[in-house]
Amino acid sequence: MSVRISVEPRARPAVALRLGVPVASLLAAAAVGGVVILISGNSAIEAYRTILDSSINGVRPITRTLVLATPLILTGLAAAVAFRMKVWNIGAEGQLYMGAIVASGLALWLPAGLPKVLMLAAMVVGGAVMGALWAGVAAVPKAYFNTNEVITTLMLNFVALYFMNYLIFGTVSFWRDPGRNYPQGKLIPDAAELPVISHRLHYGLVIALAAALVLWWSLRGTTWGFELRTIGDSPSASRYAGMSVSGKIVSVLALSGALAGMAGAIEVSGVLKTLDPRALATEMGFTGIVVAAVARLNALGVVPVAVLLGAVAASGAKLQTIGLDAEIVFLLQGLIFLFVASGEFFLSNRLVLSSRSAPEPQLAATEASHE
Amino acid sequence: MTAGRPPPSITVRALASVGETILEVRDLNKSFYGVAANDRVNFDLRAGEVHGLLGENGAGKSTLCSVLAGLYRPDSGEVRLDGQQVGLRSPHDAAEHGIGMVYQHFRLVPSLTVAENLVLGLKDQGVRLTLRAVETRVSQIAEEYGLSVHPSAYVWQLSVGEQQRVEILKQLYRGARILILDEPTAVLAPQECDKLFEVVRHMADQDHSVVLVSHKMEEILGHTDRVTVLRGGRNAGTVDTADTTASQLATMMIGAEHMPEAGRHTPRRFDDAEAVLTVSDLKVTGDRGTPAVNGASLEVRRGQIVGIAGVAGNGQREFQEAIAGLRTVTGGSVRLLDRDITAARPRRRSQAGLAYVPEDRLGTGLASGLTIEENLVLKSYRERPHSRLGVLSSSAIAATARELVEDFDVRGARRGMAVSLMSGGNLQRAILARELTRPHDVLLAASPTRGLDVAATAAVRGHIRAESEAGRGVLLFSEDLAEITELSDSILVMARGRIVGSYTPDTLDIEELGLLMTGARDHADSSGVAAGG
Repeated sequence: MSVRISVEPRARPAVALRLGVPVASLLAAAAVGGVVILISGNSAIEAYRTILDSSINGVRPITRTLVLATPLILTGLAAAVAFRMKVWNIGAEGQLYMGAIVASGLALWLPAGLPKVLMLAAMVVGGAVMGALWAGVAAVPKAYFNTNEVITTLMLNFVALYFMNYLIFGTVSFWRDPGRNYPQGKLIPDAAELPVISHRLHYGLVIALAAALVLWWSLRGTTWGFELRTIGDSPSASRYAGMSVSGKIVSVLALSGALAGMAGAIEVSGVLKTLDPRALATEMGFTGIVVAAVARLNALGVVPVAVLLGAVAASGAKLQTIGLDAEIVFLLQGLIFLFVASGEFFLSNRLVLSSRSAPEPQLAATEASHE
Repeated sequence: MTAGRPPPSITVRALASVGETILEVRDLNKSFYGVAANDRVNFDLRAGEVHGLLGENGAGKSTLCSVLAGLYRPDSGEVRLDGQQVGLRSPHDAAEHGIGMVYQHFRLVPSLTVAENLVLGLKDQGVRLTLRAVETRVSQIAEEYGLSVHPSAYVWQLSVGEQQRVEILKQLYRGARILILDEPTAVLAPQECDKLFEVVRHMADQDHSVVLVSHKMEEILGHTDRVTVLRGGRNAGTVDTADTTASQLATMMIGAEHMPEAGRHTPRRFDDAEAVLTVSDLKVTGDRGTPAVNGASLEVRRGQIVGIAGVAGNGQREFQEAIAGLRTVTGGSVRLLDRDITAARPRRRSQAGLAYVPEDRLGTGLASGLTIEENLVLKSYRERPHSRLGVLSSSAIAATARELVEDFDVRGARRGMAVSLMSGGNLQRAILARELTRPHDVLLAASPTRGLDVAATAAVRGHIRAESEAGRGVLLFSEDLAEITELSDSILVMARGRIVGSYTPDTLDIEELGLLMTGARDHADSSGVAAGG
């Protein structure tokens, strides 16, 4: 007799399980993170208290968390919508930069006396369009020549990054403030700044939440979303049903890029007030992939996950004051991703323990009986 | 078998002389999910012979070979080698016993050399690879069997035929004296086939035994010493190739003796009926870039069921896909009623009146991760009432689904459940429900009852007959000859991408049809264009 462990798919996980597994995964991530903090010679309890204090304890920490979560919601949606169709857009990072470049460019170029609404609309739309175009550079070859979008979108990140750096650090461009010795972008006019809700929290959050809501509904309730889900589930069945797969690849990648580009525009308008390459190149695009994955590509699920990661990020500076490396934040984010992703496996599969007699029944048996 | 490997030819001569039975399979049973793939199969192999294993797809050839290659364990029955019963527990075990299999899909690492591929996975190589010694041995073996391959060439540089020779070489290098070749010519160009059979003959001359799995008659007749025919998982007979004929083999293979009498249902006339589907001189390219359909023509009239018989892999799939718009046509035309749909997109064809039940149910006919409701509107989700201005109406979709599920008796479907969890018969009912309730004039159905239980099969056939009674045309592709003859008003035979024969129930000649199907005869006296009437 031997015990066999086999994996069986779960038909439809119960609601309790669907809520319980992510929570358990989070706790497990916190536990392992705590061990690492202990090993580094600090108090895990103090570290977690600091994290809670600087992220959710009070209005100011909460606004800080939400400011950090806003771009992650948008890049998370960008990844979720593309991944839903199994199009792997790894380029939200670059699309965000390009959106930020165009949005800041528009803010500086358009007359400063323009009504705020028009100015902001131009920036957000401009950033989104630019993000869509930048994704389109990868989308069109993918759709019509079946190039690998993972490589193209990833490589385009570097093009965008170096282009953005060049605009500020490499030359005295339209974006750069010529009046300063240190290379720095020009400040955008007041009309180009997103209004504030409370403390530093700006209305970009509302835009991001609205985007999440609209996308969630579109995926469920429109023919567009139906096609997207069908293509993602089964390309062969979708072609059979008469859907245009290549057209959809272009439109979905463009939408994904638009969401990332919008994130760039909102960062410029709501937080940075200038094209600041250093502040933009903080992997908001890549973190969006983590957000989407943890949210299981659910557009509404992206919101709490982005807030969670934002909360962890918000405590980075505070953690340093108690003697921890700021990198501990990335470690915790990584652990969260790891555990939630593994939890996902147990959610859609279950382990079955079965004891059965050792394999090789018939032949061995008959062989023995002959001898 | 000892771990050290003397040159294979010496091994073989020491073990067996020509004509002696070296391998015996007795009453082999193997079922998958309750379906018997091998049902009391017997097989024996003599030293130095090329033994053909003939049968249609699903006849049990692969199962038998997989048991011999150590991939499957039989449910019951025994395998004897040199009179000794053996348990082949793994491919490694089979190799130890001198049995090697060459699969259709090669198991080679393209970025390694021939010699590296040969020693890959061998356990007694030691820590350091002595590739030079391997290469010398490989060259020796290659020369001995006429397998010209350079041992230090990289596999990715080799042609398909050469890669196949590497696979054979690999088995010989590992000391195989029994070689199983699974449809070896399926991937080869004609001149490469000739070369392969030279090698096969050469191996037999050196006292190796070769099992040649095929459903091509001319290969079996031209290159084997004996033939075992399987049908429906059972032995249909074993004969000496020299004493048999193509028609005898074809009869065994398709089981003509079990066929319904020709003309069991009185032929119906369709001379005056309107043609609903007209395919003229259609040419389609297959996945490998070679022509798959070479100028096929047919006509389906109102009320007529046209059945296409043929062994799988003769262009039927490409033909269906071209008619459905899933594959680009390189020549010829497809007309639906009076509309030319040769270049139309699949959705246009569906709107023009083409219903299509594809062979691949879960994956093509249905999107496996979507719910039953979503799958039932897979073709009508853009139409009212299911959606309006791009917004789906979940209540209208649910209402349609409820209705279809009830009308077509789709069981086991729960709201919101992914269809992948449903049984084959219910999947097919769901596809039929969706396809047949849309306005259409033509039903294109591919292997619609494959793998279904009796009740589901009867239901599907009932729907096909009802289509005919409703005045629609049906084009039925099936490998099940009994199904074709039972349902069809006109029976076409497809082989090598062409329509090579045409019968009506009263002119049906099963034996001739079998010959045409297996390519043993090239053309019946029928023209390429076959139509009812």
